Amino acid sequence: MKKLVIIPAYNEQGGIERTVRDILEYAPDFDYVVINDCSTDKTLEVCRKNDFHVISLPVNLGIGGGVQTGYLYAFQNDYDIAVQFDGDGQHNARYLNEMADKLAKDNLDMVIGSRYIKKEGFQSSGLRRVGIRYFTALIKLVTGKKITDPTSGMRMAGREVIEIYAKNYPKDYPEPESVVAILKADKKVDEIPVQMNAREEGVSSISPRKSIYYMIKVSLAILIAAVRR
Amino acid sequence: MSLKTQIMVAVVIVAALVWIANMVRKQALDIRFALSWVTVGGVVLILDVFPGIMNYLVHLLGIELPVNMMFFFGFCFTLLLLFILTVKVSKQEEQLKRLTQELALLEDRMNSRRLDKSICREANQMKGETCKKKDE
Repeated sequence: MKKLVIIPAYNEQGGIERTVRDILEYAPDFDYVVINDCSTDKTLEVCRKNDFHVISLPVNLGIGGGVQTGYLYAFQNDYDIAVQFDGDGQHNARYLNEMADKLAKDNLDMVIGSRYIKKEGFQSSGLRRVGIRYFTALIKLVTGKKITDPTSGMRMAGREVIEIYAKNYPKDYPEPESVVAILKADKKVDEIPVQMNAREEGVSSISPRKSIYYMIKVSLAILIAAVRR
Repeated sequence: MSLKTQIMVAVVIVAALVWIANMVRKQALDIRFALSWVTVGGVVLILDVFPGIMNYLVHLLGIELPVNMMFFFGFCFTLLLLFILTVKVSKQEEQLKRLTQELALLEDRMNSRRLDKSICREANQMKGETCKKKDE
């Protein structure tokens, strides 16, 4: 069973080392790959210095293109499982084995780490939670499946989903839309409760100014993903 | 339209056509894209030289002023062109993304192969050394 952790990193010089060390410690039977999305800080130098496995994109592609590179790598190298894992210290590596167990035990195609099942740990700000709840409702409406944390960036995919994502993955704010795409492809998705940390390093990709664009773009993308094919 | 304006418009169009031709000659503009611009220039030039066509068309479509027809069609053409360009940009963005990803993955494969080779070489050297010791 080949398992891969995909760590997309854009300007994560402060958090990347601890993230990789956590994975090496808590999930030693996982391979990992850092996808350096043409960072302008010392992310690449930190990875090289520590001899981490890093794939470095020659031009900046944004989060979607970066994560997809990881899925492409997983697909080309015949991994059975690939999991996305943020490079900024928000995710906990100790959940990785639990997620893999859940994937195998329930015969799922994807497992999402959700902050909103047990409602413990970092819960994001009030306004963002409203937005997330709205996406949950919208996804329920178009697919019939309740995903409590559709914006979670901590997601584990099996072979079939790896292939789908390697071929097709949204460019920006990809999480909710890509979940709908695989639900529509009749893949089985479920969640496990996880705790996330507040961001220690780096800044959120969603600034207040962009949040309007975010809501509109993701809503449209969900609707389009729902009627695709 | 007075003769003066007709000449002025004709000069502008001819100048634009010369400019386009020069860009194509210098390979700064792909001839496929130049074609649509040359077509537009040609059509406007014909309408400019024979104002009768314009008056006929305006009358046929029930538009009051010839200039309104020019604005309307010019606007439609510009919108269409912009739309086609955004479609092209979307496609190129996708192609560029793929190229970037494949390039990064290829580089990664080359690095890991070099690593394998250097480990191999080290291993051989170690073997060589042990051999030598045995010989001694």
